[in-house]
Amino acid sequence: MTQAIDTSIYSAVTSAIQAEAQRILSEGQVSAVVGYAPARRKGSAQPVVITEASDAGKLIFSASCVNNLAVYLTKAKKEIPKNGKIGIVVKGCDLKALVGLMGETQLKREELHIIGVPCAGVLASTFQPDKALTTETIAPKCRECDAQLPQGCDFVPPQQPVTQALEKKYAAEIARLEALTPAERWAFWKEQFSKCIKCYACRQVCPFCYCEQCLCDRNKPQMVETSPRPAGNTAWHIVRAMHLAGRCAGCAECERVCPMDIPLNLLNRKMAKELKELYDYEAGFEIKEKGPLSSYDEKDDQSFIK
Amino acid sequence: MSRIGVFVCHCGENISRTVDVERVAAEVGKLPGVAFSTDYKYMCSDPGQGLIKKAIREQRISHVVVAACSPRMHEKTFRKAVEAAGLNPFLCEMANIREHCSWVHEDREEATVKAIEIVGMMVERVKKNRVLPTITVPVTKRSLVIGGGIAGIQAALDIADAGHEVVLVEREPSIGGHMAQLSETFPTLDCSQCIMTPKMVDVANHPRIKLYTYSEVEHVEGFIGNFQVTVRKKARSVNEDKCTGCGVCMEKCPIRKIPNKFDCNLGTRPAIYVPFPQAVPNTPVIDRENCTKFKTGKCGLCQKVCGPGAIDYEQEDRLIVEPVGAIVVATGFDLYSITEKPKGSAIKGYGEFGHGKIPDVIDGLTFERLASASGPTGGKILRPSDGREPKQIVFIQCVGSRAREKGISYCSKICCMYTAKHTMLYHHKVHDGQAYVFFMDARTPGKNYDEFWRRSIEEEEAVYIRGMVSRLYQKGNKIVVMGSDIAVGVQVEIEADMVVLATAVQPRIGADSLAQKLGISYDKYNFYSEAHAKLRPVECATAGIYLAGVCQGPKDIPDAVSQASAAAAKVMTLFAKDQLEREPIVARVREASCVGCFACKKVCAYGAVEEKEIRDRQGNLIKVVAYVNPGVCAGCGTCQATCPSKSVELDGYTDEQMVAMIEAL
Repeated sequence: MTQAIDTSIYSAVTSAIQAEAQRILSEGQVSAVVGYAPARRKGSAQPVVITEASDAGKLIFSASCVNNLAVYLTKAKKEIPKNGKIGIVVKGCDLKALVGLMGETQLKREELHIIGVPCAGVLASTFQPDKALTTETIAPKCRECDAQLPQGCDFVPPQQPVTQALEKKYAAEIARLEALTPAERWAFWKEQFSKCIKCYACRQVCPFCYCEQCLCDRNKPQMVETSPRPAGNTAWHIVRAMHLAGRCAGCAECERVCPMDIPLNLLNRKMAKELKELYDYEAGFEIKEKGPLSSYDEKDDQSFIK
Repeated sequence: MSRIGVFVCHCGENISRTVDVERVAAEVGKLPGVAFSTDYKYMCSDPGQGLIKKAIREQRISHVVVAACSPRMHEKTFRKAVEAAGLNPFLCEMANIREHCSWVHEDREEATVKAIEIVGMMVERVKKNRVLPTITVPVTKRSLVIGGGIAGIQAALDIADAGHEVVLVEREPSIGGHMAQLSETFPTLDCSQCIMTPKMVDVANHPRIKLYTYSEVEHVEGFIGNFQVTVRKKARSVNEDKCTGCGVCMEKCPIRKIPNKFDCNLGTRPAIYVPFPQAVPNTPVIDRENCTKFKTGKCGLCQKVCGPGAIDYEQEDRLIVEPVGAIVVATGFDLYSITEKPKGSAIKGYGEFGHGKIPDVIDGLTFERLASASGPTGGKILRPSDGREPKQIVFIQCVGSRAREKGISYCSKICCMYTAKHTMLYHHKVHDGQAYVFFMDARTPGKNYDEFWRRSIEEEEAVYIRGMVSRLYQKGNKIVVMGSDIAVGVQVEIEADMVVLATAVQPRIGADSLAQKLGISYDKYNFYSEAHAKLRPVECATAGIYLAGVCQGPKDIPDAVSQASAAAAKVMTLFAKDQLEREPIVARVREASCVGCFACKKVCAYGAVEEKEIRDRQGNLIKVVAYVNPGVCAGCGTCQATCPSKSVELDGYTDEQMVAMIEAL
């Protein structure tokens, strides 16, 4: 049964974000703020970089503020001023990416002014951006969110999101796939990967894919076949999943932007589940110099070595 | 254009038996880039190497592929030959057609085809090889010795006498190890303490030996010539600089009933103690688990009576970093504890012998303490249960050792000899007593060893019964020993006053975790593995780490001492040079594509990755990238496997080379 999700706090949150952006820009604390602004279509939102306090009124927060803005601090930072602190608006899920990037020496905490958003959820798709947020239209990642109130930010509006327990779709789908035989699972993924058109949207949107030259673009030697054919597709998606293991905190942007609807975040969540079970590790909660996959401990689980 | 020379070896018949080497040479000769190919019976021999040198000179060969055995065997040999002919040695590669081909296949046709493909892969690889300059690194001429038993002491003294500083780390409060516990030693019956303690004193007084007792190796970084070792010096609670070793604290300590581990728990000691009177250093240690001051906060008597004020209850563990160039591991052994089945072990224990339940069933080391003049009974053989002199004593050999069904298949080597010695010591001290020995067979190779064993039977009246014991049980104040005499084919039952078990020698508990810290390999019993069973018996496969004593395998004292001196000689050989030449197989960062995530730095086990700032001509910071210090890099390639953007590569093992090999298939 479809139920509405209470997003009434978003207008108050919008005002609070505007006031904070106005303050930090006019006081000169930051040289720019990365946030969301209304786009052309009714109800839609798009990322924006503002550098003037007078532009603070452009900022909004709504259920269509789906983007993970962390990507604008790494590879998409063309519009970001080179000097000074940067303000950034983040949902709890986006904050985890910032934390991960700090652990990988890509960002410095002291160079950021983090504006956290109390978030009741965002839309799964922005094809109809003015659609109301309901238990049907909410993004799957929001159904298993554990970070509605971001922690450790410089500023968080005081509003409390109303949350309700929803069925965890990723967990259910992972359980379904785990119950299959390896051959059935392989058939499932083979079909999914066969859809891939190698547009690399998943790579471009991912805050952790920040390499200046992706190994998939190397041709001497060529590591991954570039044309969208089964072998190259599978190689790319395995590379992507493995490179994100222990790092991806589940913003699910890859899955959202995939034009072919490949359930990419499912792979990421499966990796995260393995990390949790083997090393009791969850990405994105604290800045760690070494994750479980880049360190060795005598107590590490070794049962997989046979 | 490369002019590659391919040299196919017959390895006597090792390769040519299954591989048609002439066909291999002919086929690879047709590959693009191959200018010369030939085969020869022994390519590693002088004429074989001459063939390569001649071809380089006369055929203007630019790259060399030697198709022969494993590079582990002869890569150095051939690279040296190539260098002598004026080529950079790293333009020579080996194609392994012995271990990877002729030894593992039977079909001649298939093996030949495979050999051609293996050589073809190396031809493609060698085309991408670059000239690599040899790297030299300085050698820290100090050595670490782990373990202060007789092997560790001997190695430390030899290295120090050769003029190099030694750091000796011992886990217990005193050096001496097991040898300090022994009574008299075979085959000469000289007193162990009399030959051991002077060496212990030499260690303490040696100007070039830095002794850390009650200490453990915490952490090891670096590589041959340049190790950084962190030593944990455990809190002794006694200031070693102030303590004069007068012993008043030990006299006054009110806690006196703690079983003394040095005496195999036969005697007792106070809570502040030295393990034995001849301990080096003669500085007591407070056993914090049993000390009243540490348990309740009261007492403090030792502090009150200590004249120089050496007692320090606040003392904490200290971590000390010692730079060394070589490491000698001499951690020794523990006896197989037969009382109970060790946790998680494949070893089954000997419940049927009642050790731990019947007080007068003891192990060989406990008998040593009973027979020792400095032991708890002052050298009298007395029963632990009632202090009476045993008139009938039974020794059982091979308890644990050579018992596959119990989990240990190896021979502990020393038991035949020390049991023969025990029967003699017993006979010397209990003139009217009778000793029986149950044995499988007596193993007495060694100078004067068999003579010694025969003496125990012919002159010292020990009765040897060939056969094993099935069960021991207490009957009144006797122990009934039930066994078989297979020489006569009868069951034997002896009512003994005391039973001594020659239990198996095992590596120290925790030997595996030390090996992991050092990065050395060990076998399934946790004995450390030597690099080559015959030709490199004291070196580890990890360069710069050497083995001495029982940690490598069961040994008696002369063997342990010989191996210790051999390990010391290896250390001195290393220290004879100021600079160490090492292979230039090191990682190199492609700065253009490095984004500075430092995943490489996180996984580098050698601390070789540093951060490097890239600036433009005005000095503005562009980015921070990884930099591999070639002096520290060990060439393991972990960074290469980890780098998400493939921005770091190992020279000689680049992705380009690997892919070229795959594509050649």
